Amino acid sequence: MGVQMNEASQRLDECLLRFMDQLELLEEKRERLNSLIEQGWFSISKARYSMGNKQVSTLQYGSEIEPQVHVNARVLENGEAEFDAQRVECLRWKYSEKDPMQVEDIGPKEEGVRRRGVTKQEDPKDQPVAPQTYVSKETSPPNQGLSHHQDPLRWFGILVPQSLKQAQASFKKVIELSAEVATLQGTVLATRKELQALMGNKQEETAPRHTDGKTDTGCKTIRQMDEERASDS
Amino acid sequence: MAGRGKLIAVIGDEDTCTGFLLGGVGELNKNRKPNFLVVEKDTSITEIEETFKSFLARDDIGIILINQFIAEMIRHAIDAHMQSIPAVLEIPSKEHPYDASKDSILRRAKGMFSAEDFR
Repeated sequence: MGVQMNEASQRLDECLLRFMDQLELLEEKRERLNSLIEQGWFSISKARYSMGNKQVSTLQYGSEIEPQVHVNARVLENGEAEFDAQRVECLRWKYSEKDPMQVEDIGPKEEGVRRRGVTKQEDPKDQPVAPQTYVSKETSPPNQGLSHHQDPLRWFGILVPQSLKQAQASFKKVIELSAEVATLQGTVLATRKELQALMGNKQEETAPRHTDGKTDTGCKTIRQMDEERASDS
Repeated sequence: MAGRGKLIAVIGDEDTCTGFLLGGVGELNKNRKPNFLVVEKDTSITEIEETFKSFLARDDIGIILINQFIAEMIRHAIDAHMQSIPAVLEIPSKEHPYDASKDSILRRAKGMFSAEDFR
Protein backbone atom coordinates (compact mmCIF):
# COMPACT_ATOMS: atom_id res chain seq x y z
CA MET A 1 0.00 0.00 0.00
CA GLY A 2 2.77 2.42 1.02
CA VAL A 3 4.88 1.60 -2.05
CA GLN A 4 1.89 2.08 -4.31
CA MET A 5 1.15 5.42 -2.68
CA ASN A 6 4.73 6.53 -3.18
CA GLU A 7 4.61 5.59 -6.86
CA ALA A 8 1.33 7.39 -7.35
CA SER A 9 2.65 10.46 -5.59
CA GLN A 10 5.83 10.40 -7.66
CA ARG A 11 3.89 10.15 -10.91
CA LEU A 12 1.67 12.98 -9.77
CA ASP A 13 4.68 15.13 -8.87
CA GLU A 14 6.35 14.48 -12.22
CA CYS A 15 3.16 15.32 -14.06
CA LEU A 16 2.71 18.49 -12.02
CA LEU A 17 6.27 19.63 -12.75
CA ARG A 18 5.73 18.95 -16.45
CA PHE A 19 2.50 20.91 -16.29
CA MET A 20 4.26 23.86 -14.65
CA ASP A 21 7.03 23.79 -17.26
CA GLN A 22 4.47 23.81 -20.05
CA LEU A 23 2.62 26.73 -18.48
CA GLU A 24 5.88 28.64 -18.16
CA LEU A 25 6.74 27.98 -21.79
CA LEU A 26 3.25 29.01 -22.84
CA GLU A 27 3.61 32.27 -20.94
CA GLU A 28 6.97 32.97 -22.59
CA LYS A 29 5.61 32.32 -26.07
CA ARG A 30 2.51 34.36 -25.32
CA GLU A 31 4.67 37.29 -24.30
CA ARG A 32 6.68 37.05 -27.51
CA LEU A 33 3.49 36.72 -29.56
CA ASN A 34 1.95 39.79 -27.94
CA SER A 35 5.05 41.92 -28.42
CA LEU A 36 5.29 40.90 -32.09
CA ILE A 37 1.63 41.81 -32.63
CA GLU A 38 2.28 45.19 -31.00
CA GLN A 39 5.26 45.74 -33.29
CA GLY A 40 3.04 44.92 -36.25
CA TRP A 41 0.38 47.42 -35.21
CA PHE A 42 3.00 50.08 -34.67
CA SER A 43 4.35 49.51 -38.18
CA ILE A 44 0.83 49.59 -39.65
CA SER A 45 0.18 52.88 -37.85
CA LYS A 46 3.42 54.32 -39.24
CA ALA A 47 2.47 53.18 -42.74
CA ARG A 48 -0.98 54.75 -42.32
CA TYR A 49 0.61 58.00 -41.22
CA SER A 50 2.82 58.15 -44.30
CA MET A 51 0.31 56.79 -46.84
CA GLY A 52 -2.87 58.40 -45.59
CA ASN A 53 -5.65 57.22 -43.34
CA LYS A 54 -7.73 55.43 -45.96
CA GLN A 55 -4.82 53.86 -47.78
CA VAL A 56 -4.37 51.20 -45.12
CA SER A 57 -7.84 49.90 -44.42
CA THR A 58 -10.20 47.06 -45.23
CA LEU A 59 -11.19 48.88 -48.43
CA GLN A 60 -7.81 47.99 -49.90
CA TYR A 61 -8.20 44.22 -49.52
CA GLY A 62 -7.95 42.36 -52.79
CA SER A 63 -11.00 40.96 -54.56
CA GLU A 64 -9.26 37.59 -54.83
CA ILE A 65 -7.59 36.42 -51.66
CA GLU A 66 -5.50 33.28 -51.68
CA PRO A 67 -3.99 31.91 -48.50
CA GLN A 68 -0.20 31.78 -48.37
CA VAL A 69 -0.03 29.96 -45.07
CA HIS A 70 -1.49 26.60 -44.17
CA VAL A 71 -1.39 24.80 -40.86
CA ASN A 72 -0.89 21.08 -40.76
CA ALA A 73 -3.02 19.88 -37.89
CA ARG A 74 -2.90 16.37 -36.52
CA VAL A 75 -4.37 14.81 -33.43
CA LEU A 76 -2.02 12.69 -31.35
CA GLU A 77 -2.99 9.55 -29.46
CA ASN A 78 -3.52 11.33 -26.16
CA GLY A 79 -5.99 13.69 -27.81
CA GLU A 80 -3.79 16.74 -28.09
CA ALA A 81 -3.50 18.55 -31.41
CA GLU A 82 -0.25 19.51 -33.08
CA PHE A 83 -0.09 22.46 -35.44
CA ASP A 84 2.62 23.35 -37.88
CA ALA A 85 2.40 26.51 -40.00
CA GLN A 86 3.76 26.19 -43.53
CA ARG A 87 4.09 28.92 -46.09
CA VAL A 88 3.01 28.17 -49.64
CA GLU A 89 6.15 27.57 -51.67
CA CYS A 90 6.68 30.06 -54.44
CA LEU A 91 9.90 31.17 -56.05
CA ARG A 92 9.09 34.77 -55.38
CA TRP A 93 8.98 34.04 -51.70
CA LYS A 94 12.29 32.24 -52.04
CA TYR A 95 13.76 35.36 -53.62
CA SER A 96 12.47 37.43 -50.75
CA GLU A 97 14.08 35.08 -48.26
CA LYS A 98 17.44 35.25 -50.03
CA ASP A 99 17.38 38.96 -50.68
CA PRO A 100 14.51 41.06 -49.33
CA MET A 101 15.25 43.83 -51.83
CA GLN A 102 14.18 41.58 -54.72
CA VAL A 103 10.54 42.02 -53.75
CA GLU A 104 10.66 45.68 -54.65
CA ASP A 105 12.02 45.01 -58.16
CA ILE A 106 8.95 43.18 -59.41
CA GLY A 107 6.46 45.31 -61.30
CA PRO A 108 5.42 46.20 -64.83
CA LYS A 109 6.85 49.72 -64.66
CA GLU A 110 10.26 48.56 -63.72
CA GLU A 111 10.29 45.85 -66.36
CA GLY A 112 9.74 48.58 -68.98
CA VAL A 113 12.67 50.55 -67.66
CA ARG A 114 14.89 47.52 -67.80
CA ARG A 115 13.92 46.80 -71.42
CA ARG A 116 15.06 50.24 -72.43
CA GLY A 117 18.30 49.61 -70.58
CA VAL A 118 18.91 46.34 -72.45
CA THR A 119 18.53 47.89 -75.92
CA LYS A 120 20.98 50.64 -75.06
CA GLN A 121 23.65 48.26 -73.93
CA GLU A 122 25.96 47.89 -76.84
CA ASP A 123 29.11 47.61 -74.83
CA PRO A 124 30.06 43.88 -74.79
CA LYS A 125 31.59 44.22 -71.30
CA ASP A 126 28.22 44.96 -69.70
CA GLN A 127 26.17 42.40 -71.62
CA PRO A 128 26.96 39.17 -69.76
CA VAL A 129 25.77 40.44 -66.39
CA ALA A 130 22.65 42.55 -66.96
CA PRO A 131 20.71 40.56 -69.65
CA GLN A 132 21.23 37.25 -67.89
CA THR A 133 19.69 38.42 -64.66
CA TYR A 134 16.83 40.01 -66.57
CA VAL A 135 16.09 36.90 -68.64
CA SER A 136 16.26 34.61 -65.65
CA LYS A 137 13.66 36.70 -63.85
CA GLU A 138 11.37 37.10 -66.82
CA THR A 139 11.31 33.44 -67.80
CA SER A 140 11.13 32.02 -64.30
CA PRO A 141 8.10 29.69 -64.22
CA PRO A 142 6.64 30.83 -60.86
CA ASN A 143 5.91 34.24 -62.35
CA GLN A 144 3.13 32.57 -64.34
CA GLY A 145 1.47 31.52 -61.13
CA LEU A 146 2.11 34.81 -59.44
CA SER A 147 -1.47 35.98 -59.82
CA HIS A 148 -2.57 33.00 -57.75
CA HIS A 149 -0.27 33.87 -54.89
CA GLN A 150 -0.26 37.62 -55.02
CA ASP A 151 1.60 39.30 -52.24
CA PRO A 152 -0.96 41.09 -50.02
CA LEU A 153 1.42 44.07 -49.92
CA ARG A 154 0.32 44.82 -53.49
CA TRP A 155 -3.20 45.62 -52.27
CA PHE A 156 -1.77 48.77 -50.78
CA GLY A 157 0.22 49.85 -53.81
CA ILE A 158 3.37 48.95 -55.67
CA LEU A 159 5.74 51.22 -53.84
CA VAL A 160 4.64 50.71 -50.26
CA PRO A 161 6.57 52.22 -47.36
CA GLN A 162 9.13 50.18 -45.51
CA SER A 163 6.98 50.25 -42.37
CA LEU A 164 4.26 48.21 -44.10
CA LYS A 165 6.86 45.61 -45.06
CA GLN A 166 8.00 45.56 -41.45
CA ALA A 167 4.38 45.04 -40.37
CA GLN A 168 4.12 42.12 -42.78
CA ALA A 169 7.33 40.60 -41.45
CA SER A 170 6.08 40.93 -37.86
CA PHE A 171 2.76 39.29 -38.63
CA LYS A 172 4.45 36.46 -40.52
CA LYS A 173 6.38 35.69 -37.36
CA VAL A 174 3.17 35.98 -35.34
CA ILE A 175 1.51 33.40 -37.57
CA GLU A 176 4.34 30.91 -37.06
CA LEU A 177 4.32 31.56 -33.34
CA SER A 178 0.55 31.24 -33.09
CA ALA A 179 0.78 27.68 -34.42
CA GLU A 180 3.31 26.91 -31.68
CA VAL A 181 1.10 28.52 -29.03
CA ALA A 182 -1.93 26.55 -30.27
CA THR A 183 0.07 23.31 -29.98
CA LEU A 184 1.23 24.26 -26.51
CA GLN A 185 -2.32 25.08 -25.41
CA GLY A 186 -3.38 21.61 -26.50
CA THR A 187 -0.47 20.07 -24.60
CA VAL A 188 -1.38 22.01 -21.46
CA LEU A 189 -4.98 20.79 -21.64
CA ALA A 190 -3.87 17.19 -22.21
CA THR A 191 -1.48 17.35 -19.25
CA ARG A 192 -4.25 18.86 -17.17
CA LYS A 193 -6.46 15.86 -17.94
CA GLU A 194 -3.63 13.50 -17.08
CA LEU A 195 -2.99 15.34 -13.84
CA GLN A 196 -6.66 15.24 -12.97
CA ALA A 197 -6.78 11.49 -13.61
CA LEU A 198 -3.68 10.86 -11.48
CA MET A 199 -5.09 12.99 -8.72
CA GLY A 200 -8.34 11.03 -8.89
CA ASN A 201 -6.45 7.74 -8.66
CA LYS A 202 -4.50 8.91 -5.67
CA GLN A 203 -7.60 10.15 -3.90
CA GLU A 204 -9.29 6.83 -4.60
CA GLU A 205 -6.44 4.93 -2.98
CA THR A 206 -6.41 7.08 0.12
CA ALA A 207 -10.18 7.59 0.49
CA PRO A 208 -12.06 5.60 3.15
CA ARG A 209 -14.30 2.83 1.77
CA HIS A 210 -18.04 2.95 2.46
CA THR A 211 -20.03 -0.11 3.38
CA ASP A 212 -21.55 -0.29 -0.13
CA GLY A 213 -18.08 -0.68 -1.62
CA LYS A 214 -17.99 2.83 -3.14
CA THR A 215 -15.15 5.17 -2.33
CA ASP A 216 -15.55 8.80 -1.41
CA THR A 217 -12.82 10.44 -3.45
CA GLY A 218 -13.78 14.01 -2.66
CA CYS A 219 -12.32 14.88 -6.07
CA LYS A 220 -14.33 16.46 -8.86
CA THR A 221 -14.23 15.13 -12.35
CA ILE A 222 -13.18 17.35 -15.24
CA ARG A 223 -16.74 17.31 -16.54
CA GLN A 224 -18.03 18.57 -13.19
CA MET A 225 -15.43 21.32 -13.13
CA ASP A 226 -16.24 22.38 -16.68
CA GLU A 227 -19.96 22.40 -15.89
CA GLU A 228 -19.35 24.57 -12.83
CA ARG A 229 -17.18 26.94 -14.82
CA ALA A 230 -19.83 27.21 -17.53
CA SER A 231 -22.54 27.95 -14.98
CA ASP A 232 -20.33 30.60 -13.34
CA SER A 233 -19.78 32.41 -16.62
CA MET B 1 -8.11 19.21 -47.66
CA ALA B 2 -5.82 16.94 -45.71
CA GLY B 3 -3.00 17.27 -48.21
CA ARG B 4 -3.34 21.01 -48.44
CA GLY B 5 -3.43 21.82 -44.76
CA LYS B 6 -5.86 23.95 -42.85
CA LEU B 7 -6.44 27.67 -42.67
CA ILE B 8 -6.03 30.22 -39.92
CA ALA B 9 -9.21 32.24 -39.33
CA VAL B 10 -9.22 35.71 -37.77
CA ILE B 11 -11.92 37.60 -35.88
CA GLY B 12 -10.59 40.97 -34.94
CA ASP B 13 -10.49 44.71 -35.31
CA GLU B 14 -9.36 46.37 -38.51
CA ASP B 15 -5.65 46.53 -37.74
CA THR B 16 -5.48 42.96 -36.46
CA CYS B 17 -7.21 41.61 -39.56
CA THR B 18 -5.11 43.80 -41.87
CA GLY B 19 -1.93 42.59 -40.21
CA PHE B 20 -2.80 38.92 -40.42
CA LEU B 21 -4.01 39.27 -43.99
CA LEU B 22 -0.71 40.95 -44.83
CA GLY B 23 0.92 37.90 -43.30
CA GLY B 24 -0.97 35.76 -45.80
CA VAL B 25 -3.69 33.97 -43.82
CA GLY B 26 -6.65 35.38 -45.76
CA GLU B 27 -8.83 33.37 -48.08
CA LEU B 28 -11.94 33.99 -50.10
CA ASN B 29 -13.25 30.60 -51.08
CA LYS B 30 -15.30 29.63 -54.13
CA ASN B 31 -18.47 30.82 -52.43
CA ARG B 32 -16.76 34.15 -51.72
CA LYS B 33 -16.83 33.31 -48.03
CA PRO B 34 -13.90 34.83 -46.14
CA ASN B 35 -12.00 33.22 -43.29
CA PHE B 36 -11.88 36.52 -41.42
CA LEU B 37 -14.27 38.97 -39.82
CA VAL B 38 -13.43 42.61 -39.31
CA VAL B 39 -15.29 43.70 -36.19
CA GLU B 40 -16.33 47.32 -36.28
CA LYS B 41 -18.37 49.46 -33.95
CA ASP B 42 -21.63 48.50 -35.60
CA THR B 43 -20.92 44.76 -35.76
CA SER B 44 -23.48 42.95 -33.63
CA ILE B 45 -22.62 40.24 -31.11
CA THR B 46 -24.96 37.88 -32.94
CA GLU B 47 -22.98 38.33 -36.11
CA ILE B 48 -19.72 37.68 -34.28
CA GLU B 49 -21.12 34.57 -32.63
CA GLU B 50 -22.54 33.24 -35.88
CA THR B 51 -19.24 33.80 -37.65
CA PHE B 52 -17.35 32.09 -34.83
CA LYS B 53 -19.70 29.11 -34.97
CA SER B 54 -19.42 28.93 -38.74
CA PHE B 55 -15.62 28.84 -38.40
CA LEU B 56 -15.94 26.04 -35.85
CA ALA B 57 -18.13 24.11 -38.26
CA ARG B 58 -15.73 24.48 -41.19
CA ASP B 59 -13.36 21.54 -41.51
CA ASP B 60 -10.75 23.58 -43.39
CA ILE B 61 -9.95 25.81 -40.41
CA GLY B 62 -7.25 24.73 -37.97
CA ILE B 63 -6.76 27.78 -35.77
CA ILE B 64 -9.10 30.65 -34.92
CA LEU B 65 -7.44 33.86 -33.78
CA ILE B 66 -9.74 36.19 -31.92
CA ASN B 67 -9.17 39.49 -30.12
CA GLN B 68 -9.67 38.97 -26.43
CA PHE B 69 -12.21 41.78 -26.04
CA ILE B 70 -14.30 40.17 -28.79
CA ALA B 71 -13.86 36.77 -27.15
CA GLU B 72 -15.31 38.29 -23.99
CA MET B 73 -18.49 39.13 -25.92
CA ILE B 74 -19.01 35.50 -26.92
CA ARG B 75 -17.35 33.83 -23.93
CA HIS B 76 -20.09 31.23 -23.58
CA ALA B 77 -19.52 30.04 -27.15
CA ILE B 78 -15.76 29.85 -26.64
CA ASP B 79 -16.07 27.99 -23.35
CA ALA B 80 -18.46 25.53 -24.93
CA HIS B 81 -15.86 24.62 -27.57
CA MET B 82 -13.96 21.62 -26.21
CA GLN B 83 -12.44 20.08 -29.36
CA SER B 84 -8.74 20.42 -29.99
CA ILE B 85 -9.28 21.37 -33.66
CA PRO B 86 -9.85 24.17 -34.42
CA ALA B 87 -7.77 25.67 -31.65
CA VAL B 88 -8.95 29.05 -30.38
CA LEU B 89 -6.25 31.59 -29.60
CA GLU B 90 -7.08 34.80 -27.82
CA ILE B 91 -4.88 37.70 -28.85
CA PRO B 92 -4.64 41.27 -27.61
CA SER B 93 -6.08 44.22 -29.46
CA LYS B 94 -4.80 47.77 -29.75
CA GLU B 95 -7.04 49.15 -27.05
CA HIS B 96 -7.30 46.08 -24.87
CA PRO B 97 -4.06 44.45 -23.69
CA TYR B 98 -3.96 40.70 -23.22
CA ASP B 99 -5.21 39.54 -19.83
CA ALA B 100 -4.19 35.97 -18.98
CA SER B 101 -6.86 35.71 -16.29
CA LYS B 102 -9.55 36.04 -18.97
CA ASP B 103 -8.05 33.46 -21.33
CA SER B 104 -10.29 30.39 -21.54
CA ILE B 105 -7.37 27.93 -21.69
CA LEU B 106 -5.53 29.43 -18.74
CA ARG B 107 -8.77 29.63 -16.77
CA ARG B 108 -9.23 25.91 -17.31
CA ALA B 109 -5.67 25.26 -16.23
CA LYS B 110 -6.09 27.53 -13.22
CA GLY B 111 -9.19 25.57 -12.26
CA MET B 112 -6.88 22.68 -11.44
CA PHE B 113 -5.53 24.42 -8.40
CA SER B 114 -8.60 25.74 -6.66
CA ALA B 115 -8.96 24.87 -2.99
CA GLU B 116 -11.93 22.62 -3.72
CA ASP B 117 -9.80 20.25 -5.78
CA PHE B 118 -7.55 19.53 -2.85
CA ARG B 119 -10.28 18.66 -0.37
